[in-house]
Amino acid sequence: MIYRVSHTTTYNYENGVTFCHNIATIKPKHILGQNVLDYNLKISPLPTEFSERIDFFGNTITRFAIQDYHEELKVTAESTIEKDYTLIPDITRSITGIQITLEEAKSYLRSHNPEISEVKQFMLESILIAKITPEIRTYAEISFKPNRSIFEAAQELMQRIFTDFEFNPDVTNVATPIQEVMTKRKGVCQDFAQIAIACLRSVGLPARYVSGYIETLPPPGKEKLVGADASHAWFSVYIPTFGWVDFDPTNNQIPKNQHIITAYGRDYYDVPPLKGVIFSSGDNELDVAVDISRIN
Amino acid sequence: MLSDTNTLFQNYFSDFRNYDEVLKSDLSLNLNWKQLLNNLSGIGSENLKTKQEELNWLMEENGVTYNVYNDPNGLNRSWGLDIVPFLVHQNEWEATIEKGLIQRAELLNLILKDIYGERDLIKNGIIPQDVIFAHRGFLRQCDQIQYKTAKNLLVYSADLARGPDGRMWVVNDRTQAPSGTGYALENRQALNRVLPNIFQNINVKQSSQFFYKFNQMLIESAPTNKDNPNIVILTPGPHNETYFEHAYLASFLGYPLVMGNDLVVRNGKLWMKTLKKLKQVDVILRRVDDIFMDPLELREDSYLGVAGLLEVVREQQVSIVNPIGSAILENSGLIPFMNRICNYFFNEDLILPQIASWWCGQDKERNFVLNNLKDFVLKRIDRSNRENIVFCEFLDEKSLNELKQQIQLTPYQFVAQEKISFSTAPNFSNGLLEPRKMMCRTFAVAHKDSYSVMSGGLVRVAAERETLFVSNQRGGISKDFWIVSDAIQNHMQNYSWGSFCNLTISDINDLPSNTAENLYWSGRYLGRALVTARYLRMVLNRMNQQQYNNRSSESESLKILYQSITNITSTFPGFIGKNSQKRLENPLDEIVSLMTDDKRWGSFAQTLSSFNNAYYSLRSLWSRDMWRVFDSIKKHWLEVKHAKSHSVTNLSKSLDRIITRLIAFMSLIEESILVNQGLLLYFIGLQSEQAMMNIAKCRSLLVVDHKDNIQYEILESLLSSSESLNIYRYSYRSYLSLENVVKLVLLDKTYSKSLAYQIKRIKKDIDRLPISEGSKTISVCQEKIKKALIKIESISTDELLNLKEDGTLRATLESELAQLSDILHHVSMAISDTYFNHAYLQKQLAKQDFPLI
Repeated sequence: MIYRVSHTTTYNYENGVTFCHNIATIKPKHILGQNVLDYNLKISPLPTEFSERIDFFGNTITRFAIQDYHEELKVTAESTIEKDYTLIPDITRSITGIQITLEEAKSYLRSHNPEISEVKQFMLESILIAKITPEIRTYAEISFKPNRSIFEAAQELMQRIFTDFEFNPDVTNVATPIQEVMTKRKGVCQDFAQIAIACLRSVGLPARYVSGYIETLPPPGKEKLVGADASHAWFSVYIPTFGWVDFDPTNNQIPKNQHIITAYGRDYYDVPPLKGVIFSSGDNELDVAVDISRIN
Repeated sequence: MLSDTNTLFQNYFSDFRNYDEVLKSDLSLNLNWKQLLNNLSGIGSENLKTKQEELNWLMEENGVTYNVYNDPNGLNRSWGLDIVPFLVHQNEWEATIEKGLIQRAELLNLILKDIYGERDLIKNGIIPQDVIFAHRGFLRQCDQIQYKTAKNLLVYSADLARGPDGRMWVVNDRTQAPSGTGYALENRQALNRVLPNIFQNINVKQSSQFFYKFNQMLIESAPTNKDNPNIVILTPGPHNETYFEHAYLASFLGYPLVMGNDLVVRNGKLWMKTLKKLKQVDVILRRVDDIFMDPLELREDSYLGVAGLLEVVREQQVSIVNPIGSAILENSGLIPFMNRICNYFFNEDLILPQIASWWCGQDKERNFVLNNLKDFVLKRIDRSNRENIVFCEFLDEKSLNELKQQIQLTPYQFVAQEKISFSTAPNFSNGLLEPRKMMCRTFAVAHKDSYSVMSGGLVRVAAERETLFVSNQRGGISKDFWIVSDAIQNHMQNYSWGSFCNLTISDINDLPSNTAENLYWSGRYLGRALVTARYLRMVLNRMNQQQYNNRSSESESLKILYQSITNITSTFPGFIGKNSQKRLENPLDEIVSLMTDDKRWGSFAQTLSSFNNAYYSLRSLWSRDMWRVFDSIKKHWLEVKHAKSHSVTNLSKSLDRIITRLIAFMSLIEESILVNQGLLLYFIGLQSEQAMMNIAKCRSLLVVDHKDNIQYEILESLLSSSESLNIYRYSYRSYLSLENVVKLVLLDKTYSKSLAYQIKRIKKDIDRLPISEGSKTISVCQEKIKKALIKIESISTDELLNLKEDGTLRATLESELAQLSDILHHVSMAISDTYFNHAYLQKQLAKQDFPLI
């Protein structure tokens, strides 16, 4: 499957901006099962400084600065992506992977093994997933039992979050603490991903945050609206002896071709699509449009 | 031992349990202290008391302060220095302590390089990765950054205390922005000044070499402009607890003291905003913690750093001392592994012992800690300040269990340490010596291929006899720290740079715009404070006279004066607006409110408090004499503020004292600051404010026409409010006439208090300000002030005195003054827009109030 992804972020500044420094984590990853055939980033006004580098987590981050006065900032990332999820190892075909229990996984993770040292950092608390409460741990332990397969448990956790939590964009924002989301049982994809990660870490498993896009399909018989797609987020759990497996608790599914990955991090804080410091005195207005279309 | 020493040591051991630096439990003496004790007893207990008081006074007079957060009296609390120094003999110092500190600095430097580089220590299993990865000071943004300096760790500070085995132990490592060198310097100078004979026959090593090397290190760390690097000291601002030291070091080292908004990142480089242009910065000596250094990549809500700074560091266009990311070394989780790391890198053991510590990220250690929790002191690996240390012996069962749960949830965040009873040293208290816990802060600086250690350092003493911990954050006492030698030492040096500092005198073009702004506002506030104080005093004196001669004209003129106070200070409703009748019946209350209510906009108190803020931001510019005078202004003002009752006479007397000191302060400014340091900005502010206040006075007293006898009193009041009565008499030798007063106060080009003179003076100063590159040949400020000058020079006295047809008002006077006031206001705005920072209001692109820390 080949997709064209267009992601436009527009900021309108009430009083204009004299200059700004920004960081975008927006370039889709070039990994197994996901080929970036083409990518370009348009920034208006034209930045005075522009550079790309690979961050600590292996994501591409783009830094730019605009030194001229402007009233509107527009960042458009356009990419052509080839997705073929069948290339990724399928856990259901891995006998050890599908069977490994929590207890086995934990003992594996305790060993000093340089190969999993990268993975182990995703077991620790992170900036937005800190002070994990006993409540969260109790919630996790309903699914995670010492002798149960962690794949099975993770799948169940995904389903439970899908059922127990209401999708509601008006309740939370990027800074809402996980403890609050846990109590309110409402939020958006990013909250659900972070709740799941907190649950996994509370039982001692490595879990990471995945940021990207999801293609939405129109209801049967209707035409798809341009811009109806969205930035999306889900989680990934490390299953010892097998590897990372992604789960999307917002849609209760294991991602296949419709999920396009831009970045991995410990939580949202590590991978915000666009952040920056502006020098201005007024308010600003944000507009984000994502459009994903199939080329063939 | 001498009998006097016995007196001093009376009851020293009454409830004594610990190891002491001077006396062993059998009362035998540590011989290194013998000469000092002789000196102390020679001086005598009574004399020491006097000298201690003198020392306290000197510290206060010199404005040596330590701000304590969250303490109502906290801002600028005086620094306490005990008259009895702490000493260590050179033999012990050189043989172990100095060597041990250098070894530890070298080691931490290698750890820092490894953590942000290859991470071999983790790969080879020398340290568990969670000790690093779970520490919030591990900044992933700093991974793989390369530096041009020979060492990554450029300054290092360690807190030492003497353990039960008689050796000095390392208690804490300080690696981000260690404080204390300035206090150490000041302590030595103060003690030397107050009690020079305490040094008698003792050879104390001097620390001047350390500061020389420190300065060398700053110069050599510059990645670019090696010949003449531009070095700045970055402070979080006057509210930081060690702001005194930042200002002190800035003036001592001769580098500009800047805040985050003085700096800006453009074109991949770091710049300081100056009056004329942006000037590239090569080195930052920072007193801002890691995570606040760059709001783009680190804490987004920080206003203390510079957006985009980290990228400039990556591109090796600026050096930061110490590098961002060094907080990872302030890590008690490393302690259990330090000896192993030392063997890994150097094939030798640590020289200085550490407190036995167990990192809970390991199963065996965690279980041991959980089973014996009551015996331990528990810390988080990334928080070493006293508020986050738990002394488990004092916990009840419930809290212990809660703590155990926390440890089990995130074991890798905790370290348990053995309880240690460190040594005590004598502290002078109420004429006697008593043993107190103490801690020595030591300093090392990268020098050539190694580190150089300050001879001595800063000793801090527990606030009370039985207190276990030592911390300035909670207010405490310090000591001078002597390294004593058997060899004769050079005399105490007068700490001046002499020839080894190649500072070029900077000119006004290089003045940081933040400093310029503070100077400008200092001028405005001081001008306003002086005019207001004199005006209030004049009214108070009038009130006093009225009590003796009860003339009706006087009470009528008094009412006019009361109302003019409200007009001039813009403190409505006051004597004019709502409920003014009540205030007019009891005017003293309103006047007291204007003098003491610093929350009331326009009041004298509020002006003084605004000046106070500008004053602290500029502290490195002021001379010692100015610190003293300023403190006494504050003292007199506080007396008024806290007085239980007020009388007209007392208030007037207090104002006399304050006014004298304000004038002293203002003339000190003129003699202590160079025009190139920004004195021009101060003058422009001062003259502008005085001109505007002058206009306000004339508008409120001269526009309305009064009967002759009242007019006379009003004119006399106006002149005496600006101390111009004598000049008037000298110039006109006549009965007070409106015409002559207008001539003198507004139009006389030769009289320094007239409006015409003030405007001419402002214009002259504005003409000397730099014009920024690429702009017109004449600035907006110049255009505007020229307009004011033309206006005042073209006014004729007759026109001003014309009354309206109904005979009540002088309309021309009012309209001309109103226009001049507007122009001056526009000049002020133009100066602000042209030279200060308002175009740079930093915000987050998307405001994200993450629940950090």
